Amino acid sequence: MELEFVDIRVERDYFLIQGAGIFAPGIHLVSGRVGSGKTTLAMIAAGLKTPDSGRVKRHGIGSVMLSMQFPEQHLTGSTLESEIASWHLQPCPVLALAGLPGREKDDPFSLSRGELKRLHLACILSRRFDLLILDEPFSALDCREKMATADRIGSIRAGITLIFTHENQHLPRVDYLWEIRESALEFLGSVPDALVGWKNKPSVLADLHKRGVYPKNLSTADILEAACRTHD
Amino acid sequence: MQDARLRLLTVIILSVASFMSVAGALAAFIWWIIFTPGIRTIAKSPFALFFLGFTASVSAVIWLTGGDGISYLVRMAVILLLAFYAYTDRAPGDFLDLSVWLFGKKIGFDIGLAAEMSLQGMEVLSDEARRTRVAFRLKAIKFGFRSIAPSAGLMIYSQFARAEEQADLLAVRGYRGGGMVCPQFTRVKGDVIASTSAILPLIFAIMPVGDIFILLQ
Repeated sequence: MELEFVDIRVERDYFLIQGAGIFAPGIHLVSGRVGSGKTTLAMIAAGLKTPDSGRVKRHGIGSVMLSMQFPEQHLTGSTLESEIASWHLQPCPVLALAGLPGREKDDPFSLSRGELKRLHLACILSRRFDLLILDEPFSALDCREKMATADRIGSIRAGITLIFTHENQHLPRVDYLWEIRESALEFLGSVPDALVGWKNKPSVLADLHKRGVYPKNLSTADILEAACRTHD
Repeated sequence: MQDARLRLLTVIILSVASFMSVAGALAAFIWWIIFTPGIRTIAKSPFALFFLGFTASVSAVIWLTGGDGISYLVRMAVILLLAFYAYTDRAPGDFLDLSVWLFGKKIGFDIGLAAEMSLQGMEVLSDEARRTRVAFRLKAIKFGFRSIAPSAGLMIYSQFARAEEQADLLAVRGYRGGGMVCPQFTRVKGDVIASTSAILPLIFAIMPVGDIFILLQ
């Protein structure tokens, strides 16, 4: 199973985004600054946008899901119950997972964006997909929810998971690292080796690197372990 | 057409011509082909096909009940094409400038602001409709009345919520009615030619076609 970007190029507003590479099974973190073209690449990966040139090849991928940045964009149900049912899931366990028990009959717009994001992620992460694309999965969440979400994403074992984010504090354990540099998607390699070449790395990681400390991965636990490490 | 005043005047003249007769509508359609981006104005608007389809349906009903459905179809379709042209050719702030220029800084500003906010709302609604289609596709939900109804309700609800937030925001910023705007209009050479040409369809609409040829002889 793999997803391949074959020299894709897409013009967006006033600049060009280009990318090439193969996404193998595992968790891929695609980092990039705000406005660098992450959402465009996520849409292309999901098959919802066609690149201006190049193509996207899928090998052995059946089910595909894109989690869009804003959770309200996924709404199709007029109650939380019907919204969860639209994901072919049972309401009670999903609501419990989202920390919204007993709110089956509530209007989705009665939730804050953070609550809606929690509900949306609970729906998405309760199912399994061959290709799961998460566009800014940590937006609108508080620190505690970001950490919980990172743990849940990091525990995905099957299929290809692509995380497009500019988040640099709470990240999951990932297998591969990509970075959008000057409008071009670049593969940095497997984690932890790829962390060294990460140009716009999180500041905490940069500080650790300055001290010659290299974490094993990107989760909060890995960063803490590296920060508290007394010797290598 | 860059000058919003000329664009409005032209669209009004052509709409009147189209409404008055089929000959006027056909002449206005020729104007539309010559002076606008043509079919691209429809492609840009997701509502265009819906309204054109609706007009065609009404025309069919009129025709089936013994009325002049063809005449209705031609005239209304051209008026819709002109409306879509006016909608797609506008720039943000055009209606505010135009309204203030026409009616002054009190009532003109209020009308212009309401028009600008409505148009912005239409764009948001169009974007939400597109996003909803993506959500349906991702969830593998079939399009149908039962599936669309809740989404349509959500979109209307979000528009009301957005309107309320905008009203609060205006109140917080001290808006109490009226405002300062210095309307600015830019005009290019083609604007005058296009506007002047719009008089021809009106002549076609007012005068019987045969009379025009007699006059020409």
